[in-house]
Amino acid sequence: MVENIVIGIGVTAFAGALASVAGAAEDVESDIGSQGDPNSQVQLAPQMGYIHRIFNKAISGEPPAYGLWVALGAGLAAAFLQVNVNPILALTLGCVLATLVQGVYATTAYLGRIASLAKFGQPVYIDILKSMTTVTMAHAFIAIFTSVLMCYLMNAALGHPFPLALLGLIWGIALGAAGSATGNPFYGKERQYQNQKFGAGVPVAASGNIVRYAEAGERNSLDNGWFTAKLGGPWSGICFGLIVFLELWRTVLFEPFWAGWGAIVVGLILILVFTFIDRYAEVWARETFGPYAKEAAK
Amino acid sequence: MTVKVEKIEGGTPHDTIMWAGLLSALVCIYLGAGLNSMFNAYTFSFFGGLAAVAAIIWGSDTIKGLCSYGIGTGVPSVGMISLGSGVIAMLIATRFSWYLAPIVLVVVAVIIGAIIGYMANDVIMMKIPVMRRSMTEVAVIGGLMLMGFAQMTTGSYALLDLAATKMSILGLPIAAGFGGSFIGASIIAVAFILGAIAVQHPFNACLGPSWKQDRMLMLAAECGFLSMLPVAFMSVAYLSLPAVIVSVVVSAAGWLYTYNEYICLAKRDAAAWLDAKPIREPEGH
Amino acid sequence: MTVTPKPTGGVGMNPMANALSIILLIAIIGAAWILFGGYGLIFKALVAVILGGVLIGFGVHFVPVGGAPAAMGQAPGIATGVAMLAAGAGLAGLFGGAYAAQSNLGLVTSVVAGGIGGALMMAVTCLFVVLIYTYAMGIPSASGKVKVDPITGDTQAEYKSQGTEGHGLPFSSFAGGVIGGFLGGVGGTLIYYALLQVYEDKLPALLSAPTAQAIVPVAVSLAGVFAVGIFLVNAVLAAYNITGTTEGFHDPKFSRFPRAIIAALAASAACGLVAILVAAI
Repeated sequence: MVENIVIGIGVTAFAGALASVAGAAEDVESDIGSQGDPNSQVQLAPQMGYIHRIFNKAISGEPPAYGLWVALGAGLAAAFLQVNVNPILALTLGCVLATLVQGVYATTAYLGRIASLAKFGQPVYIDILKSMTTVTMAHAFIAIFTSVLMCYLMNAALGHPFPLALLGLIWGIALGAAGSATGNPFYGKERQYQNQKFGAGVPVAASGNIVRYAEAGERNSLDNGWFTAKLGGPWSGICFGLIVFLELWRTVLFEPFWAGWGAIVVGLILILVFTFIDRYAEVWARETFGPYAKEAAK
Repeated sequence: MTVKVEKIEGGTPHDTIMWAGLLSALVCIYLGAGLNSMFNAYTFSFFGGLAAVAAIIWGSDTIKGLCSYGIGTGVPSVGMISLGSGVIAMLIATRFSWYLAPIVLVVVAVIIGAIIGYMANDVIMMKIPVMRRSMTEVAVIGGLMLMGFAQMTTGSYALLDLAATKMSILGLPIAAGFGGSFIGASIIAVAFILGAIAVQHPFNACLGPSWKQDRMLMLAAECGFLSMLPVAFMSVAYLSLPAVIVSVVVSAAGWLYTYNEYICLAKRDAAAWLDAKPIREPEGH
Repeated sequence: MTVTPKPTGGVGMNPMANALSIILLIAIIGAAWILFGGYGLIFKALVAVILGGVLIGFGVHFVPVGGAPAAMGQAPGIATGVAMLAAGAGLAGLFGGAYAAQSNLGLVTSVVAGGIGGALMMAVTCLFVVLIYTYAMGIPSASGKVKVDPITGDTQAEYKSQGTEGHGLPFSSFAGGVIGGFLGGVGGTLIYYALLQVYEDKLPALLSAPTAQAIVPVAVSLAGVFAVGIFLVNAVLAAYNITGTTEGFHDPKFSRFPRAIIAALAASAACGLVAILVAAI
């Protein structure tokens, strides 16, 4: 474990900051590429007759995909570290190679899905492929590099028993889960269905009718990334940053107390605090917004 | 409203692909191990990667057959269960000698896959006709992929070699010991998730009403070679430089060829191939 | 032939299959008892792995997942796949539990630490989902499956927007998520801890290691990878059971959990026995 508590706290804070950046970059990347559950609408739109110019990156959900990119970056870095490459160089090289793999997967996903929608007349837009892929790769690199660096710190500075590659896998899956849980509704409802009424869910009848003509001409995924980087991205970052920071903070500071139960008690208190905040937000929404008008009931 | 997936008849029958995949994977693994020991070098480790490619091609067709019935949760979960059951079978197979291990892998994976398939189909009552067979197949596929990647990274698939490195660079032994080995540094976790994504990606990416089998299989080969590339780079910690270079060259050549072919097939199948053109609304919209 | 992919599984139990699974479970446990000297380390580890797998399979039923409709505000729950969301929480919990195990804090402390880690991750994630829905999208949470929230007593119907099945995370879904994260973290850490004990015991002789300390990285990594693998097998089986989406414990689908428990029992027993045999034969 950590001998020097000050180093422990410092590394914890740094890891939390890295995790916040990772979460934000992950969410914006998955919105630029349109990955995960909102992508089902991008897939559905041509079948309902709405041809679009959105990048359809159907690799898998975000958790397994990010599990792969971060584990790959961490594993490659671990292999390079073993042949005595400088740590910074090893981490960077590993993440660059992982990003290249991600880029190739993105292009094959787009080509495959759009080609399989040929029956509905959805064309393959090569310029979308050329312009979106590099942007999504850039965001992915930020997310992967900060995550791998965070895992390296956990292993090297905080003394976690798991090897770097296994930490990469675990935190990659957690990053994808947290980022997609927070960012997907914002991208799906607010941006893809921007033409629907604000403050209500999308009615089933409107499925597939995503926004295709918007403020800057025909909408493409860069517009979506611009929008989600304003709120969905940063909030996903704070979410994942809090997860990593609180997990490390309660362990590093409080595990020495009561033979480990100090950390457990602090964890319980934190869960209760979040439960209260959640309940407050839920009640605030019900009181401030009020019920929906009962039009259809008549 | 869900996406319609049409079950298209025609193309190569699944049984053919299954036997071809299984046999080529086993042949590649044995070739790699045999040639390595015959020449007392590690330059033929890339055959393990080729075995993984064969397994991925087979796996993509299995997943296609299973997911056409609608399993409710999506395609990536099958990849996860494939590797989850495969890693267990592969690790017990590492306890046996090099000529017995692949057979043990297949036998144990069939047993575990059959149990999981029975659970999914009869206890959970998914009642999908191909569920039991598919779960068995994906367990074998997961195990073969992992054994192939292990062979490509370290040159062997015996537990002693995977858990300890006895390596030297330029004649100087490096203190890798147990901590830096394939299992010790958790490179096996990287191979795990590489395989899980690679096996489900071909069907997931080609999913749609205009699905074509040859395009999916070409994408499966491309995913396999793409997975071989980082494995080749990771083998730099376990194999000598000439072996690493051979692995990288084989992987890169295979990937370039299959990627190019895949793009050509996508171009053949797409409704239109436009560059910087506006949205073409269909008639009546 | 066109097949629309809707889940076709039946509701209800198959008594014959359930009986066969229990027989398989007893056979595996019996084999472990006979082959490895009764109530020893291996037997206890196998029981722990089975228990961990069952907790994981059960815990997945609590996690509120809405799937693709949730991403559009059409259904309540989190807009991610259920198996991988549970895996994210469980593995974050395993991270904490492994830390505690390394400090030699004992089985109970490590397992509870892992559980709290998973619960904390789900709490933060669910909180931010609610915050996004409330403050970023202006949508109150409403359930589509119950008229009144079982924990808070809030009525749900009038807060459901027209044409949707509900949206956001009602308080019961939040609580369900936290419970699911706790159970996932406990299960994952239990499997990890049990396998770690077996490997630390058996591997030094197997690998001809100079000291018992030297093989700890291999034991940790092997136990960790097996924990991830068995976690995913159980989580995916449970995800098949709830056919992808659920609102949590107040969802009618929750009553399907006995099937998942029986499946988890047999699957974890088989996988656990083979995992232990890697070092024990």
